Amino acid sequence: MAKQQATSPESSEPSSAERRRHWQRAYRAQLQRSRAQRVAGSRALKQRIAREGAPLFSGMATARKWVDDHGKLTYPVLAVAAIAIAAFLPLLGDFVDLPSELDQATSGSVLARVALFALFALGLNVVVGFAGLLDLGYVAFWLMGSYTAAILTGAQSYSRAIQQGASFGDLPEPEWQMWMWLILFIALGVAVLTGIALGSPTLRLRGDYLAIVTLGFGEILRITANNLTGVTGGPRGVASIPHPEVQAGGFEVVWGTLTDAKYYWLLLGFVVLWIIAIRMLDQSRIGRAWVAIREDEVAAASMGVPVVRMKLAAFAIGACTAGVGGVIYAEQVNFINPTTFSLIQSILILAMVVLGGMGSITGSIVGAAALVIIPDALLREQDEYRFFLFGLVLVVIMIFRPQGLVPSKRRKAELVGEDDSQLVEA
Amino acid sequence: MDFVANCATDVADQFWAQTRNGLTLGSIYAMIALGYTMVYGVLQLINFAHSEVFMVSTVAALYAVPFFGVTEGDPATGLSVILIFIAVLICCMLASGALALLLERFAYRPLRKRGAPRLSFLISAIGASLFIQYLFVLMDGQHYLFPIRGIADPLGMPLVIIGLVMAVVAGALVVAGLRRGEAGWVDAGTLTGFGALAALVAGVVFVIKLPAILGPTPQSVPELFSTSTVFTLFGTPISNKRLLVVVVTVIMLVILDTFVRKTRMGRGIRAVAQDSEAASLMGVNINRVIVVTFLVGGLMAGAAGLLYQTVLNAPAFWFIGFRPGIKAFVAAVLGGIGNIRGAILGGLLLGLVEAYAVPCIGAQWIDVTAFVVLVTVLMFRPTGILGEQAGG
Repeated sequence: MAKQQATSPESSEPSSAERRRHWQRAYRAQLQRSRAQRVAGSRALKQRIAREGAPLFSGMATARKWVDDHGKLTYPVLAVAAIAIAAFLPLLGDFVDLPSELDQATSGSVLARVALFALFALGLNVVVGFAGLLDLGYVAFWLMGSYTAAILTGAQSYSRAIQQGASFGDLPEPEWQMWMWLILFIALGVAVLTGIALGSPTLRLRGDYLAIVTLGFGEILRITANNLTGVTGGPRGVASIPHPEVQAGGFEVVWGTLTDAKYYWLLLGFVVLWIIAIRMLDQSRIGRAWVAIREDEVAAASMGVPVVRMKLAAFAIGACTAGVGGVIYAEQVNFINPTTFSLIQSILILAMVVLGGMGSITGSIVGAAALVIIPDALLREQDEYRFFLFGLVLVVIMIFRPQGLVPSKRRKAELVGEDDSQLVEA
Repeated sequence: MDFVANCATDVADQFWAQTRNGLTLGSIYAMIALGYTMVYGVLQLINFAHSEVFMVSTVAALYAVPFFGVTEGDPATGLSVILIFIAVLICCMLASGALALLLERFAYRPLRKRGAPRLSFLISAIGASLFIQYLFVLMDGQHYLFPIRGIADPLGMPLVIIGLVMAVVAGALVVAGLRRGEAGWVDAGTLTGFGALAALVAGVVFVIKLPAILGPTPQSVPELFSTSTVFTLFGTPISNKRLLVVVVTVIMLVILDTFVRKTRMGRGIRAVAQDSEAASLMGVNINRVIVVTFLVGGLMAGAAGLLYQTVLNAPAFWFIGFRPGIKAFVAAVLGGIGNIRGAILGGLLLGLVEAYAVPCIGAQWIDVTAFVVLVTVLMFRPTGILGEQAGG
C-alpha cells in the first residue's frame, strides 16, 4: 500500500474510505477462506478417524458423529435414556441372574427408598446448596406431609378407635384411595405454609443460628406429634394409611404393599419432575439471586435482590418437596409414628447433599443412591453402623473433598476462592 | 387467662422447690455453655460436637467409679466420699478435655488450615458428633465387631483390612516418591491425607475391636454416695448432691474467671477473641490459644457431665449429651455468645425458666421451652442479654 502510494501519488488515488472498504473486503475473504479450511480440515480429520478407527471403535465414532449432527438433542436423549434405564432397574432381576447383593439393591423397596431420599435430597439441596441456608430440621416438613396424609385419610381416627378397643370389623377401613392425589396437593400446601411460618421470623438470622433454630423447630414438631395424642395418635403412631390408586373409566392402577415397584416408578416420576423444575429455577433469575445471597448477602441486598423473599422461596420449595415425599412415604409404609422423624433423618439427608456436592442436582441423586444402597447392600442391617460410618464420611469429605463427589461448577469456584481471615491459620 | 392464673398459682406453690431445681440444672447448663461460648469467641464457630464432649464424661464415670471401689448398692461414706469424688471428677475432666483436643485436631484444624467456609465446619462437627455417639453405641458388647455383611469372624478380617489399607498407603508413597521428580502430580498434602486416612481406619477398627478385649461396657454408673438432706431453706430440703453441684460450679467458675482475667494465656484468649489478626501480630500464638480454649471448654464439660450424672442418677447412654448440649447452646446465645459471664447468666436463667415451666405445661413439653426461648431471644435481641462482648 505504501509502495502504491509512492509510485502513483496523483493518478486515480483512491479515497481513504475506498481503501478501507478494500482492505475490509480482503480481510473478510481471508477470514472466510481460513474458516473454510479449518472446517474442511476438521471434517476430513473426523472422516479419517471414522474410517480408520472404525475397526477399533466404530460404535464410538458413530455415536460421536451422531452427537455432532444432533447437538441440540443430545441432552434430552441422554436424559430419556437415563430415565428409561432407571425405570427398568426393578425388572432387572427378572431377566438376569443377579448376585444377591445386587438383587437386594434393585428390589422395589430399596429403589423406592433411593428415589424417596433423592427427592428429599433435591429439596434440601435447594435450601442448603443453592441458597446457602443450613437447615438441620428438614425432617419437620417430611413429618408435616406424612401426618397430613395420616389425618386427612381418616387413618388416624381409625387407628385410634382400634387402639381404644374397637374390633376390626366394627368400623369401615379408611377408603380414600382416589383422594390421595388431592391430599398430595393439600400436604404440599401445608408443608409450604410450615416452611413460611418457620422461615419468616428466623431467616434474618446468621447462618449458625439458623442451623440451631431449624434443628429446634424439627424437635418441637416431633415432640408435639408425640404429645398431642388427640390429633396425631401420640407415640403409638398411625396405622392403616391407605395405598393410593387410580380409577378412571376402564383404567385402573392399584399401588400395593411396601415392596411394590410401582411406588418406585411413582417416586421416580416425581424426581424427574423436580429435576426439571429445579434446573429451570436454578438457571432463572431466582437461581442467580440465590447465588448472590449465598456469596454475599449484604452485597446482594444492596444490588436490589429481595433477600428475605428469595430465602423464603428456597425454604418453601424445599418444604413442599419434603411434603410430597412425606405423603408417598406414609402411603407406602402404611404406618408412621414420631420416632420416624428424628433429628438423625435430617442429618442423613444433609449427608446425602454434602456427599453428592452442594448445589449439584446430579450430586444429590448420587449421594442419595450411595447412602441408601451401599449400607443396604454391604453393611449389616443395623442403623448403628450406618450412622457411625456417616459421621466418619462427613468429616473425611469435609477435609479432603469439601465440594462433594459431583461438584457443581459454580459452587466449586466459590470454595476455592473462599478466604475468611478469621478461620485461616495465622 | 385461666391458664395463666392456674400457672401462677402452680408456680407460687412450688416456687422454692423449682428455684432450687432450676439453679442446679442452670449451673450445669452454664458450665457446658462456657465451652460453646469460649470456642465461639475465639473461632466464631459453633462447636456442634461439644455435647459429645459432655457425653464422654459420663462414659468415663462409667469406668472410673467402679475403678475407685464404689459398686452398685455400696456407696462410699465418710471422708472417702470427697477423695473419691475428686478422683472421679479429675478422670471425667481429663477424658472430656482429651476428646475436645482430638476434635480440634482432627475435625477442625484441617479445615482451618484450608480456610474452608463456615458451613464445612458445622458439617464436620455434625459428622464428628455422630461418629462419637455411635462409637459408644457399638461398644455395648452386643454388636458385631466389624460392620461388613458376611464377615463372621470378627478377629481375622479387620487385620486383613488394616493390612490392605497399609499396603495401599505404602504403594501410594512409593509411587509418589518415584513420580514426584518428573511429574509432581502428588504433593505432600495428598501423602499426609493418605497417611491420616489409614491411621483413622486402623484406629476405628481398633476401637471397635476394643470391647472384645475389655468385655461389654457397663451400662449404669453406681451411685457414688447416697442422697441426704443437708439443710432446709424456705421449707425446701436441699440435698447434698444439689449442694455439691452448686459448690463445684462456683469453684470452677471462679478458677476460670481468674484464668481468663489474670493469666498470660487468658489475656491471649481475650486478645484473639477481639481481633485474631492483630493478636497474632502482637506475638500471640493463635494455634496454642485455640487448643487451650478447646481444652478449657472440654474440662468444664467434663465436670458438668459428672455433676449431671450424679444429681439426676442418669444412666450413661449415647444420646445423653444431646439435650443438655443443645440447651447449653441456647443458654450461651441467651447471655450473648462469646461472652463468658453471659454464658453463666444465660445458663442459670434457662434453668430457672425450665423449672418454672414444669408445673405449667408439664414435663413432657419441657424441651420445647428452650427452643421457644431461643427463637424469641434471637428475634428481639439477636446479640443476647449481655451482648456479644468478645472474650469478656
